[in-house]
Amino acid sequence: MAADVKPFIGSKASPHQESEAEELRKEHLMLDPMPRDEMNQMVMEAMTTTTRKWWAWVIGLGLAVAVLLFGAWGYMIATGMGVAGIRRPVFWGIFIVTFVFWIGISHAGTFVSAILRVFKAEFRRPFTRAAELMTTFGLAAGALYPLIHLGRVWVFYWMVPYPNARWLWPNFRSALVWDFLAITTYLLSSTIYLFLPLIPDMAMARDRSSGWRHFIYKLLALGWRGTEAEWFRLRKAISIFAYAIIPVMFSVHTIVSWDFAVSTVSGWQSSIFGPYFIIGAILSGVSAVVTILYILRSTMKNMDYFIRKEHFDALGKLILVFSMAWAYFFFNEYILSWYGGDAAVKQVLTLHATGPSAWVWYTMLICNVAIPWLFLWNKKVRRTPWLMFIITLLVNVGMYAERYTIIPLTLGHQRNPFDWGIYNPTIIEVSIALGTLCLFIFLYLIASRFIPLVPVWEVQEGQMSHTLRKVGKTEIPSVTELE
Amino acid sequence: MTEKISRRDFLKISGIGLTSATVITGCGPSSRYVTRQAYANMPEYNQTGVSTYYATTCKECPAGCGLIVRTQEGRAIKVEGNPEHPVNKGKVCSRGLTTVQGVYNPDRITGPQKRTRGSRTTTAMEWQGAINTVAEELKNPQKTAFLLGLQSDHLYDLVREITEKGGFGKPVRYGTLGTLEGRSTLLRATQELYGFDQIPFFDMGNADVVFSFGAHFLETWLSPLAYSRGFRQLRKQPFGKRGYIVSFEARQSLSSANADEWIPIKPGSEGQVALAIGKIAATKAGVPAPAIFAEVNLNEVSQISGISMEKLLQLGELFGSDNKAIALPGGSALTTRNGLDAAKAILALNVLVENMSQPGGVFPTFGENHTSDFAAVKALIAKMNAGEVDTLFIHGTNPVFELPASAGFQAALKKVKTVISFSTFEDETAIESDYVFPDHAALESFGYQRVLLGSDRETYSSIQPVVAPIHDTRATADVLLAAILATGGNLASDIQYTDEVDYLQKTITPLIEKAGSYSAGELPTFWSKWLQFGGWWKTTSELNSSEIEINLNQKLSFSAPQSAKVGETFHLVTFPTQMGDGSGANRPWLQETPDPMTTVTWNSWIEIHPKTAELLGIHDDDIVEVKSSTSDFSVEAIVYLYPAIRPDTVAIPFGQGHTALGRFAEGRGCNPAIVWSASVNQAGDLALSDTTVTIKPTGKRRPLARQESKEGVYGEH
Amino acid sequence: MTELLAKEAHDEKWGMVIDLDICSGCQACVTACSMENNIPFVGEDEMAYGRGMQWMRIRRYWEGEYPEVTPDYQPMLCQQCGSAPCEPVCPVFATLHSEVEKINLQVYNRCIGTRYCANNCPYHARTFNWFDYEIPAPMNSYLNPDVTVRRRGVMEKCTFCVQRIVKGRQQASAEGREIEDGDITPACAQACPTDAITFGNLSDPESRVSKMVRSDRAYKELENLGTEPRVTYLKGGKSYGG
Repeated sequence: MAADVKPFIGSKASPHQESEAEELRKEHLMLDPMPRDEMNQMVMEAMTTTTRKWWAWVIGLGLAVAVLLFGAWGYMIATGMGVAGIRRPVFWGIFIVTFVFWIGISHAGTFVSAILRVFKAEFRRPFTRAAELMTTFGLAAGALYPLIHLGRVWVFYWMVPYPNARWLWPNFRSALVWDFLAITTYLLSSTIYLFLPLIPDMAMARDRSSGWRHFIYKLLALGWRGTEAEWFRLRKAISIFAYAIIPVMFSVHTIVSWDFAVSTVSGWQSSIFGPYFIIGAILSGVSAVVTILYILRSTMKNMDYFIRKEHFDALGKLILVFSMAWAYFFFNEYILSWYGGDAAVKQVLTLHATGPSAWVWYTMLICNVAIPWLFLWNKKVRRTPWLMFIITLLVNVGMYAERYTIIPLTLGHQRNPFDWGIYNPTIIEVSIALGTLCLFIFLYLIASRFIPLVPVWEVQEGQMSHTLRKVGKTEIPSVTELE
Repeated sequence: MTEKISRRDFLKISGIGLTSATVITGCGPSSRYVTRQAYANMPEYNQTGVSTYYATTCKECPAGCGLIVRTQEGRAIKVEGNPEHPVNKGKVCSRGLTTVQGVYNPDRITGPQKRTRGSRTTTAMEWQGAINTVAEELKNPQKTAFLLGLQSDHLYDLVREITEKGGFGKPVRYGTLGTLEGRSTLLRATQELYGFDQIPFFDMGNADVVFSFGAHFLETWLSPLAYSRGFRQLRKQPFGKRGYIVSFEARQSLSSANADEWIPIKPGSEGQVALAIGKIAATKAGVPAPAIFAEVNLNEVSQISGISMEKLLQLGELFGSDNKAIALPGGSALTTRNGLDAAKAILALNVLVENMSQPGGVFPTFGENHTSDFAAVKALIAKMNAGEVDTLFIHGTNPVFELPASAGFQAALKKVKTVISFSTFEDETAIESDYVFPDHAALESFGYQRVLLGSDRETYSSIQPVVAPIHDTRATADVLLAAILATGGNLASDIQYTDEVDYLQKTITPLIEKAGSYSAGELPTFWSKWLQFGGWWKTTSELNSSEIEINLNQKLSFSAPQSAKVGETFHLVTFPTQMGDGSGANRPWLQETPDPMTTVTWNSWIEIHPKTAELLGIHDDDIVEVKSSTSDFSVEAIVYLYPAIRPDTVAIPFGQGHTALGRFAEGRGCNPAIVWSASVNQAGDLALSDTTVTIKPTGKRRPLARQESKEGVYGEH
Repeated sequence: MTELLAKEAHDEKWGMVIDLDICSGCQACVTACSMENNIPFVGEDEMAYGRGMQWMRIRRYWEGEYPEVTPDYQPMLCQQCGSAPCEPVCPVFATLHSEVEKINLQVYNRCIGTRYCANNCPYHARTFNWFDYEIPAPMNSYLNPDVTVRRRGVMEKCTFCVQRIVKGRQQASAEGREIEDGDITPACAQACPTDAITFGNLSDPESRVSKMVRSDRAYKELENLGTEPRVTYLKGGKSYGG
């Protein structure tokens, strides 16, 4: 566990001005440059160090994925959907909950990387890659669910529009087809968006490796040499993609929300679901970025150089803002349904808070609203990585509870009380849900030894544009516009 | 074509085709035997892929509803009602609909077997050996007894003829459905009060006001489909008139649920309530109250029944007003110690409002009723205990399951040297038997049912096989006739039937002369029409108005009804469900069809009023021990908090709690017969409604498989 | 003949009227439906967990307090909505309107089991084959050859006994006549002991169902959702005449 960098104050005494500059350097990665080669080495080292512990995790998770995810899923395919706890009237359960959860997580990369890039938020630089990886792997885990939850998964391709012997296109009126298309688009574009900024780093790795690694990096670097023309084109491409992927991101979660919002289910039929889901997804995604940054920082070599308190601080502020936005939408939904006066909706919403599963609803509110609001205004908390880790973990627990409230708990209490039903998740469902979590971590672990988790060139670019300038007696940071 | 069909299949197919074919054409008795012919000769109406429909009669309960069974490729597919049949006019109940699950049940007994009593070990036998066994047992008429069920009148008639000619004792005919509705009591009361020898037909469809004293006319009472039709007719009278139903019983049954008023009266007080209503009605109508009603003390009735004086007066005046009123005597009123007098009091109400043989009133029916009362069963048990029965033939009933445990049938059975069951299933009684010689299942057999209760005209309903028997079973009538032939002697010369069909044809021959809905010159034509139409009945309704003189100047005496100690003992109401006499419990779709009142499936339960449960500290789905307050017998039942039952009463449905009868029936629910009191009323009927029980929580729980959402309907989590 | 068929096809719009005043709640329709349509039984545990496969269920609520308590029955089946919420949400067109009968049909072959339709059905009329339900031999002998036996993973629901509609149409066409009112009866209506269920052609203004639909007791379940149900209920019992 590489701990925090020791506070400057309390170490050797030095002149005041110098200590202030030193403090700024400690604080900001951008102001704390390091020789390029050294930095490259640091990243390479982090990437190539595989400890026993790492192998144990990889093998353990690999087995977990095989058993928990594929074993349970295979069993379910062979036996029938009945091994899951879904029933009439709760036809969607943990599968769809987890699906929405992963799609939410996948918003992290795009938001952190694309939006912050577009707005030139400099603190983004060291963790855009980590966030983009989350997008891709979150989508990979989430995209399994539309398959997992099918009663007859062996004919899943009937949802794909292609000329076929059945003489049938998919039903383009169905939100599930929109879903299918949106997720495919998002997966594709986010993978490209992950890959583009990776090219210079691949080239860096190619030049510093040998053997099979060299071969792979050579392929992935696409012959990058670092000429001005290449940089120009890359920046252009990244810029175009950063702009283009933002609407895709918004559309994906809007469409996921339409799975619910366009239905007749009372409690789902709501025009606010689109933005509500997006805000929820960003909240959960950004929180997940913090969670994963903490893990990276504490487990990977040299990461405490790249990931600093300032990053936790900045992300903490973002989470607080999004938690407030989420609360706004939550409140909005309630007040509008109250004003609308639909008895069925009112009943559903009341039961969320008073029914047998009300604890889920309270978990959601405590984790999504109470905890961020109580703690994240405090700078000390935001700058304490382990606290941030716990808080962000809880936010995601809360977001999971939100989806659980929206899906099975709403479905179980529709218009006719005679047909109400309580949903009890089974071990198979939980196992598959955990299995995808293992898959996500597994993919991340593997990736951490193949891909530089820190976009080296972006950090270096940032450091080049940031300098401490002496104005009068004090040194102040200055930034140069590069692009 | 035959290349692809093995010889065995080929014969099977053509055999099945031809049996069915001859059944519908019916060219004389010999043609019913299977003749093997080329597949190509299959009659045109038995084409592959085309359904053939056969008329037969439902054997699930004694009502005798006419069925049309759809068959295809020799398989019975679907049971539908016979629209021409005077009893059910094309309708079927849940029980009838699942007949096919009885025929094709995987737990049927597939051939004659010798058994070790009390165990499930069996040795297969040949039918010749079975017939020899029966023949051997028939040689000792004095020590041989027959115990028969309510279904298949032809078998009962045949056995009666055999017993009369052979010097056997009178066959005992018993069934729980008859017991639950107090048939013997109703019959005795009719004989004594109305002076005719049949259970009357209650024309509720044409009445304006119906007072039902516990009659489950929508469930199992007498002829449920006929009375369901009556219910519809009552509600849909010309010019938008809608008949009014008042139902008196302690536990709200489906029939009470459909009544306009349900009066939860104390069990056993029905008779006195009827008297009080009679007295008030007479006053309202401005006629002097007949002696039968005159002396009743209204205050006392109000007190013992729990009906307020005000309500009592209101109801009495309703009954005595200008409307056409009718009173129905149901099971819960009759199966008490005061049952006979209660039945008379209720029947007397009909006399009071002068509806005898009037539309909307009470009519005599057709033919004689042959049901033994519980006293006869008790007598049989006594004989068995005394060692006077060496051989007991049991058909169509399951006494080990159906009789109250305190009657001691099972113990008495041990004293019988040879018990021969003709059951199609390994039921509780078959397990206690030495031999099982399985009869055909319902849709595989011949027979007839005399319709006594649900028809407005004289009706005989014919039973014919619609499919070839799928197992090595044999008609019990055939087995008996073959055994008699093998025995030889006087009996063989007295019983001159070659087989079951011969017996049926000889029995129905007199009908040719009677004017029915079809005519035939000679037996073969008559027989084919008999099978084709599903029976024989008169063309028009025979419910003709006539004057019947009935004397109401008699007195009834009521002893105090069975009482329950508040909070300690409870009246036990046993009510029939779609399981009927319990033989329906092995039909998966009957199990899975929810109970109309509770929506519970696959189990049985005890209904307790929520307030009582609260007092006793019992919750929904708790398992409680239900113990008879007069004996040591007890059962465990799952609690259903039932809002429509008197707080001093609990209720258990009949039909579950099997320890045998196949995979679908075994080990579910409880059998209330175990805790029934075995006392009888004045008419010899089982006074099962006098049973009181104590309730004790066991600390166990088991959620009932209900269709309703407990949370949604009762607000429980 | 094709002409005749086309003409009839144009005229068909099947509907059902359930008179709650005479519906006794006896469940015969439930059994009849199950026996006609090869509906598998699922056993006690599955029934307890709300996985019964009945296409027709009788909803029972309680009205009033003891002793004035009485059950309130409403048979609930697929309402064959004219504007069915289940139809647009299916990604593979497994549930759709039949052009001829104008009823809502489930195409088992196409169904991939997303269960979206079942969520979106405000009547909870759809059931899902959670498993392959075994009907032990020889009990499978009674299975109706006119009705598909469904495998695990597909959705199913009431079809208004479409096999009987087709047979009735073929019969009428073979006899060279038009379908008459009362020719076609689904299993539930056929069994109903009190004849509370009436089935017929709503496009014929003189049919029994069309007349009953015009009754002032008529209402449709959750009509405000705009589903245009083809099943009409006639108010009964306490709400009689209102």
